[in-house]
Amino acid sequence: MSELSYVGKSFRRKDGPDKVTGKAMYAQDVKLANTLIGRILRSPHPHARIVRIDTARARALPGVKAVITVEDTKGIKHGFVETPRYPPDQEVLARGKVVHVGEEIAAVAAVDQLTAQRALELIEIEYQPLPAVFEPEEAMQPGAPEIHRSHPKYEGPHANIGGNTETAWGDVEKGFAESDYVREDRFECQLRTHGYLEPQATLAHWENDKLNVWTSSMGSFVKRAKLAKTLDLPYSSVRIHKTYVGGTFGGKIDLYSHEYCAARLSMITGRPVQVVASREEIFSAYRHAQPLILEIKTGVKKDGTLVAQRIRAINNAGAYRGSGVVVIFLAWGFTMIPYRIPNLKYEGLSVYTNHTVRAPQRGHGAPKVRLAIESQLDMIAEALGIDPIAIRLRNARGPGERLPNGDDTHNCGLSDCIRLAAERSGFLDKFGRDRKSPPSGTIRRGIGIGVSAYMGGTLIYPNGSGVIVKMNDDGSAVVLTGAIDIGQGSETVISQIVAEELSIGMDDVRIISSDTDTTPQDIGAWISGMTYVTGNAARQAASNARDKLLQVAAEKMGVTVDQLVLKDKIVCHRLDPERRMTYREVIAHSVATRRGDTVIGEGYWRTMRDEANHPSLATTKGRWTENYAFSTQVAEVEVDIETGEARLVKALTVHDCGFPINPALVKGQIDGQISMALGHAFMEEVITKDGYTLNPNWLDYRMPTIHNMAISEDVDVITEQYRVGQPYRSKEVGEGLVSGILAAIANAVYDATGVRLHSTPFTAEKILGGLKRLQYQAKTARQAKTEPVRA
Amino acid sequence: MILLDFGYERAATLQQAAAWLARLGDGAHVLAGGTDLLPSLRAELVSPGVLVGLSGIEPEPPRLTADGSIRIDALTRLSSLAHAGLVREKLPMLADSALAVGSNQIREMATLGGNLCQETRCLYLNQRHDYQFAAPCFKRGGDCCHPFPRNDRQTCWSVHMSDIAPALIALGAELEILGGAGMRRIGAAELYTGSGLQPLSLGRAELVRAVIVPPPPPRSGWGFHKSTVRGGLEFGMAVIAVSLQLAEDGASCCGARIAVGAVRERPLRLESAERALVGARLDDERLARVAPDAAKALNPLPHHGFTRRHLLDNVAVYLRRALAQAAERARTGRA
Ligand SMILES: Cc1cc2nc3c(=O)[nH]c(=O)nc-3n(C[C@H](O)[C@H](O)[C@H](O)COP(=O)(O)OP(=O)(O)OC[C@H]3O[C@@H](n4cnc5c(N)ncnc54)[C@H](O)[C@@H]3O)c2cc1C
Ligand code: SF4
Repeated sequence: MSELSYVGKSFRRKDGPDKVTGKAMYAQDVKLANTLIGRILRSPHPHARIVRIDTARARALPGVKAVITVEDTKGIKHGFVETPRYPPDQEVLARGKVVHVGEEIAAVAAVDQLTAQRALELIEIEYQPLPAVFEPEEAMQPGAPEIHRSHPKYEGPHANIGGNTETAWGDVEKGFAESDYVREDRFECQLRTHGYLEPQATLAHWENDKLNVWTSSMGSFVKRAKLAKTLDLPYSSVRIHKTYVGGTFGGKIDLYSHEYCAARLSMITGRPVQVVASREEIFSAYRHAQPLILEIKTGVKKDGTLVAQRIRAINNAGAYRGSGVVVIFLAWGFTMIPYRIPNLKYEGLSVYTNHTVRAPQRGHGAPKVRLAIESQLDMIAEALGIDPIAIRLRNARGPGERLPNGDDTHNCGLSDCIRLAAERSGFLDKFGRDRKSPPSGTIRRGIGIGVSAYMGGTLIYPNGSGVIVKMNDDGSAVVLTGAIDIGQGSETVISQIVAEELSIGMDDVRIISSDTDTTPQDIGAWISGMTYVTGNAARQAASNARDKLLQVAAEKMGVTVDQLVLKDKIVCHRLDPERRMTYREVIAHSVATRRGDTVIGEGYWRTMRDEANHPSLATTKGRWTENYAFSTQVAEVEVDIETGEARLVKALTVHDCGFPINPALVKGQIDGQISMALGHAFMEEVITKDGYTLNPNWLDYRMPTIHNMAISEDVDVITEQYRVGQPYRSKEVGEGLVSGILAAIANAVYDATGVRLHSTPFTAEKILGGLKRLQYQAKTARQAKTEPVRA
Repeated sequence: MILLDFGYERAATLQQAAAWLARLGDGAHVLAGGTDLLPSLRAELVSPGVLVGLSGIEPEPPRLTADGSIRIDALTRLSSLAHAGLVREKLPMLADSALAVGSNQIREMATLGGNLCQETRCLYLNQRHDYQFAAPCFKRGGDCCHPFPRNDRQTCWSVHMSDIAPALIALGAELEILGGAGMRRIGAAELYTGSGLQPLSLGRAELVRAVIVPPPPPRSGWGFHKSTVRGGLEFGMAVIAVSLQLAEDGASCCGARIAVGAVRERPLRLESAERALVGARLDDERLARVAPDAAKALNPLPHHGFTRRHLLDNVAVYLRRALAQAAERARTGRA
């Protein structure tokens, strides 16, 4: 719609000037007088019984103001998931036993860093080490060291099962029997972490029976709920303040022990307490993403039509439940969305190991699942002599298709994405080129494709967002929203929507955000739904204020509302623009005639008004979302076949993101995800040994730098529209695009070299190993041909 | 955050620094740019009572000496080393090796002397030990070696990862060492002992004062390569530096110096490979034969997640390429 003035345009970010001038206040920048330094004592063992803790010497150290252990807590547990099936499972400080290196055991508050450090050294703990286990497939064996009892509802033979997801439709066995070609593969992923630049940091101040908290987070209301619960305080006694956030990528959801400790230490001392995690702590004791093992068996017809697929996902879930049971549920979703598969069986197991707890990381399992499925699909296509584009188009879901869980794909633009991606990249011209006629030199180029789909705004606490738009009497507006801007640009997007609905300028919109006392509840920036859920709430709130403005103006002007239009803070008659009132006049009139009504708009939104609170993690029953985003991504890589070194040269993203409210922010999300995917593909890995982290620093955990960035191009397939006053649909764009490109890179490496990689990262060593195997196979094949056949 | 109490003295001259070191004994440590030492302090790998700061001493700019050598002050920051006109022109390999170090910010602080005297590295060592690897390893004065449990207490397989040391060795550089007993001069390779526990041959109060690089001989060429995963802000997986000199016939080799860093407790000179090249024609076939043998002779230590196998493969390819490039430069006379 060309009518739009703000929505659909690339407005500059509202937070940009603060950030580039250094004015933005992050949690660590908030300073209060008399602040104490909090530090955490962590477990040096991956698995051990705690026989004795003695804090007396630490308490006696001058300058130490408080020391806490689990005995100083209410013993209220918390968990990433808190449902009847998966009740909270983690204490805020270890009780009786530790289950991973770095687990929090005690905390101190002292007058300075050095004293806090000495206090930690003075806490005496006697441990009785227990056998530990780190690989999920070992931990699953009956008789493996027991980290926790398997889930009571799990009936299988395995040990250490934190939770499982099982589902099926159709009849896979029959499907395999009817298939012309069946293959089985196994894929594995490395342990990766989020790499947020701002460390975990919390400042807590208990004052006048109120806990004030500044913490680096991605959802203030989740933090409030969990802090209040574990501290046994009413929500009204806990206030999470707004701070800027320097990156999260999934790593700052949920309650962290240091947040509890800062709060509890402040409640004991009556002084502000600040805890800032060191980068080493973040790498060696905090939450990382989840390495999945995926076993996948797929059957197809000769023409490439998918007939049956069976997937088993095993999650190395770390030492508590964390988001481990969520990722095995979501892995199912990422399996079933993009392609039509009539017979499917899925099993996901979340296995406890003596690793740190897991958190979602951008894509929450999708990159790993799509890597497996899309890699195997290329192998199938090659075996059948079909090209990668044709096999995808043959199986891609179309608009309005029913999904097995009762959802439907709505305006699904997947086929357009695939077609456009092929066209724009010249895919079929480039595909196979260097394998067919290898160029001179050692560099080989390859192209690969990957498809993905992602849901947005799935239901989980707090399930919905509210927004309030308050008109100022000059016609500008203040927006109260719980939305937290973690860098994705939510404040900019909300401003655009409010400006559009109210027909006021971007600079007329002021946002007050993510403060649990002054702003309405919000879903938070972690389930890919903010632009859709909070955005619609903002739209509704602004449109509510707009309706009021129109009514007041209509009354005063003696016309009906539908005869009026809004333009640049003026209400005027549609046919006679000279009949007009400024917003200032309208609001003054409202105050005068409506008992002081200053015009306040309210809005709220929730995904799927008819659905229960969340789908079943165990059985997958239940709808999740109204919005599925679809994407197709193409990677072009270069590989040096002498050294095995590979790099991403070019990425193309074609995606159906619904309607882009701010195209520049969408582009920013795409580019960020490309760089994250190439880190996953080629360089990043948290290297551990026996539960200890070997590379707890930026030097040895290699995230891509500017030198590694690839050209990133993108094309939107627009399937939704934005109309003023109407609900709109936008789709997920912030985390689904790590997946297709990762698979595309794997397929491109194959295209360049003939080496099929089954595990990330695609190191030079693995690629070179693959090339050597191919050479060896070629040599033995030649020998076999030349050797006379012996009778 | 560094959680130690220590004193700080700022030296006005290098002589003064050496004298303080001699007086203060083991409790003192010199601080040049601090980019290697400060992380070690943070990790409590060293806990000096006093830091003797060198940042108050203005380094002399690189200069040509009477015999045509280039003398470079050890306190020269790597950013100026990389961009100094004289160094770029006469010793482009040295400038490139300095440019390979860390990042812009690191090079602005880091000094040449500090680079050569940096600690050896090991994934189990370069971190705090409050709850990870709390038991001290041999290098920290303890009783075990985490990655190599079968090592004995004389053996530490940490690796020396300087990018510049291999270049200096390949250029035949010498070092001026300043100590209580005055000045001595050693070959660059002699700075290193080959022990991961005690990597430097310097006495307690000795300091590197300057680096002296002889002028590259006629018909010579160089090759330098730092193998990395992401191509920057990263220590090397292997660092290869080569100088070759061609005989007057312009085809056979009459001098070779090859050094490889980051894969052993010290930067290693590969003398057997040098011998295999001297007197021979530098054709592709020979280079392809020499390089893998040299990699094997190097006997790389697995480090930082890289296997021995992969280091062998990587060094074999890049050594061959560096040699080919050096030969090409020697032939064409291009820098
Ligand atoms: C993020 C990061 C990346 C890095 N990347 C690289 C890299 O890629 N390649 C690389 O080679 N290094 C790298 N380093 C290590 C280090 O920065 C460099 O080696 C640097 O040149 C050290 O110089 P400095 O002046 O900062 O040394 P300092 O830290 O001041 O000193 C290092 C050691 O040398 C001693 N010392 C200093 N000067 C002298 C002297 N004149 N005589 C005797 N002893 C002396 C000190 O006492 C100390 O023990 C990196 C460091 C960091 C933090
Ligand atoms: S190799 Fe050396 S530094 Fe590394 S753990 Fe062993 S003794 Fe310590």
